[in-house]
Amino acid sequence: MKIVVLFSAGRHPASGAPCPVPVELQALRLARDLAGADEVIGLHAGPVDGAPLDALGHGLGRLIHLRMAQGDDPLPALAQVLEELAPDLILAGRIGQGGEDGGLLPYALARRLGRPILADAASLGAGDDGTLTVEQALPRGARRRVVLRLPALLTVHPAAAPALPFTFAAARRGTVERRDIAPAPAAASEMEERAYRPRPKLIARAAPGASAAERLKAATQAASSGGRLLVDPAPEEAAREILAHLRGIGVLRRRG
Amino acid sequence: MSVGAGLAFVILGLSVIAAALAARRARLWRAGQPAKIDWVAGLLAVPKRYLVDVHHVVGRDPSAARMHALAAGGLLGGSGLALLAGLTGSRLVWAATALLFALALAGGLLVGGRRYPRKPARLSGGKFQLLPFALVAYGAGALLVALDAALGHALAPLGWIGLVLAAPGGGWLAFQIGRGPMRHAFAGALHLAAHPRPARFDGVSETALVPLDLGAPRLGVATPADFAWNRLLGFDACIQCGRCETACPAFAAGQPLNPKRLIQDLATAMQPGASNKAYTGSPYPNARPVAGIGGPDLPIVGAGAMIHPDTLWSCTTCRACVEECPMMIEHVDAIMDLRRFQTQELGALPEKAGRPLAELRYADEPGGRALAARTDFAAGLDLPRLREGGHADILLWLGEGAYDLRHGRTLRALVALLKRAGVDFAVLGEEERDCGDLARRLGDEDGFQRLARANVATLARRSFGRILTADPHALHALRNEYRAFGGDYEVIHHSALLDELVAAGRLPVGALAEARVTYHDPCYLGRYNGEIDAPRRLLDRLGVARVEMERSGRRSMCCGGGGGAPVSDIEGDARIPDLRMGQAKATGAGIVAVACPQCSAMLEGVTGERPAVHDLAELVLMAVEAAPVAEAAR
Ligand code: SF4
Ligand code: SF4
Repeated sequence: MKIVVLFSAGRHPASGAPCPVPVELQALRLARDLAGADEVIGLHAGPVDGAPLDALGHGLGRLIHLRMAQGDDPLPALAQVLEELAPDLILAGRIGQGGEDGGLLPYALARRLGRPILADAASLGAGDDGTLTVEQALPRGARRRVVLRLPALLTVHPAAAPALPFTFAAARRGTVERRDIAPAPAAASEMEERAYRPRPKLIARAAPGASAAERLKAATQAASSGGRLLVDPAPEEAAREILAHLRGIGVLRRRG
Repeated sequence: MSVGAGLAFVILGLSVIAAALAARRARLWRAGQPAKIDWVAGLLAVPKRYLVDVHHVVGRDPSAARMHALAAGGLLGGSGLALLAGLTGSRLVWAATALLFALALAGGLLVGGRRYPRKPARLSGGKFQLLPFALVAYGAGALLVALDAALGHALAPLGWIGLVLAAPGGGWLAFQIGRGPMRHAFAGALHLAAHPRPARFDGVSETALVPLDLGAPRLGVATPADFAWNRLLGFDACIQCGRCETACPAFAAGQPLNPKRLIQDLATAMQPGASNKAYTGSPYPNARPVAGIGGPDLPIVGAGAMIHPDTLWSCTTCRACVEECPMMIEHVDAIMDLRRFQTQELGALPEKAGRPLAELRYADEPGGRALAARTDFAAGLDLPRLREGGHADILLWLGEGAYDLRHGRTLRALVALLKRAGVDFAVLGEEERDCGDLARRLGDEDGFQRLARANVATLARRSFGRILTADPHALHALRNEYRAFGGDYEVIHHSALLDELVAAGRLPVGALAEARVTYHDPCYLGRYNGEIDAPRRLLDRLGVARVEMERSGRRSMCCGGGGGAPVSDIEGDARIPDLRMGQAKATGAGIVAVACPQCSAMLEGVTGERPAVHDLAELVLMAVEAAPVAEAAR
């Protein structure tokens, strides 16, 4: 099974130094455990290869670096190389660290490549005839097992097995292949900037004067209860319920 | 032929056999890597190294020293003289020979007395249990022969009986030169001549790890053949006395490490087709299963090899074993060489050690915290910075402990004292990176060297008199290990500086309320740097009643915090700091004085009723605050 792991130009949150993104290194480990080190290729698109180069030390044997100007859109280049490599599986971190990472690239890439995408994989297992069993990390430690037909693209969750430690000799052994990429101006961003607006906080409050234990209970229980479970509702009914709930907790203004 | 000549012939024959067996064993060392050895100086120094340095260690157990002097001296001296006597036929020489063999016999009996009726756990069994019989047979037999010859064959039949006794006894001993108990004799002597750290015999603290050449094709040691040949020789010098085992904190805590067994496994592994089955000493506590097979070119570490990785990672690098070893074996060097291969080549670290090493790599700090936050402990205290091009008499190296709340209190006390004494000092602030001690002890030599170079470059852009630190690990790195990277500094531990200041009257001290204090020596200050007096002098100046623990000074016991052991976290039966705190408690002291952030963290972590833990700086500050007001105001 051929796997490509995407690496971004991470920075360390405290030092600001180039640093591979931990969850991408975890993706690398999942890939190695699934397919063996020789079947895994790292892919990075960006002006310099500082942080992704360190991934070699964390167990990556081969890195392809698509050299492009700062600010260029990496999507077309990545899509082109991925089409050429045609891996069975593409892994990415759920979000980068340090740059302007929005965690959207994997989705844009999946759309471009026409591949299914599944978010937040915590562990992988090979299934029968071209399928993959994925354990998906859900909030509060829950897990869901999903069986998926390859080829596909997955993002990896920090709950996956820890990254392999940096190994000097592995970094020395690893190879990098550099390709220069034609300029591709970044697509106009669909984002807009708005002034900050305070949002209502969903913190349940215990009665005034309650003990610390009661406050803790209120805060933790409120997060896990509330709302109603509708099984197979009609779309209109579901929409009405959601709107009513949002108004109830103050996210949407009540109709005057 | 006279019986005397017969004995001389037997001795001659056995010497030839012993020499041949020794040469065969020595051929195994040739598998090792070349080493630079000053043979002339080494060989000339052997008598001094033996009589002074070895005796210094052996003499800690006077009965063992007596036993060995008699057995070894009598055996070698007697055998040598017997050859001479056989040649000359002089009755006077035979008489002297008889005297020496009488001593050998006494030594052999002492060897037996130590092992029977019950063998102490630290000694090995097997062939070692037969040793006293062979010694007694050879000593007694040769004594009879020599007596007979000295008395002009007045004891005629007894002389022949003696020869019949001496020949098999001596023969057994000679045949133990290759793989048995007698190997230590020739390997030990050669080891003294070709020791990998000759400076340790010159009274120098020869404890800095040797930098690894990061360009080498293989980093660290995977197989016996990767060791330098004189390291292999060192393993063969082990006499299985078990002194290292009794000193080892990891062994005491039931972690799977026994330095004696480790050295035996290494000595065994260099033989082709080696198996660890022949070992008869105490095992690794809670030993993890291993295949127990090896050879000169086979891996040493791994479940399928000789030594389990957990054994390797249990070590706190406290050097207690090295301190106790009469054969001058360097256990810690061997462990570090093996760790370096595991980390640098295989990335086979203990699970929890990967994180701090990664943070060190990407943030220069094992906790991944901002370097600027290192001085957060001093909030509200005005802490002078040493900027590029600036000067200070004392550069205060804060170390990793500055991030720790507990050690932060110590550092606040130290800073307050420095200010009170009017010392011109400054810190590097966010320019101070981790000293690299943790990286190095976890085998991440690349990480250590990078940090060392960066720190040396930072320090080169500033001018200062001395570096002061409250962290013995940083002290050891800066003082001894940075030298290989161009950093030559005068580094002083805060215990020594405070001692200076109090002695000079710059810090007037009063009496402390808690009178009984026991001092816990940090390994990296005491054993690594030989500084055991200044902290005690300092405590005495505070007017406290200082009591010593069962193990103190150079023979102190580790707190369990060194060598990355807290992050490796290998499971045992007990925790090392609990054991150490037990020893502190047994003194009846109300305070354990510490002088290291690791020690204070480990000992503060001990639960239940126990003495309070205070750093020396805190105690001095308490004493200064207790000083009479008029004095303090002066
Ligand atoms: S290594 Fe040294 S201290 Fe340990 S058993 Fe061998 S000779 Fe004794
Ligand atoms: S250095 Fe300390 S912990 Fe390591 S083997 Fe020696 S005595 Fe045991």
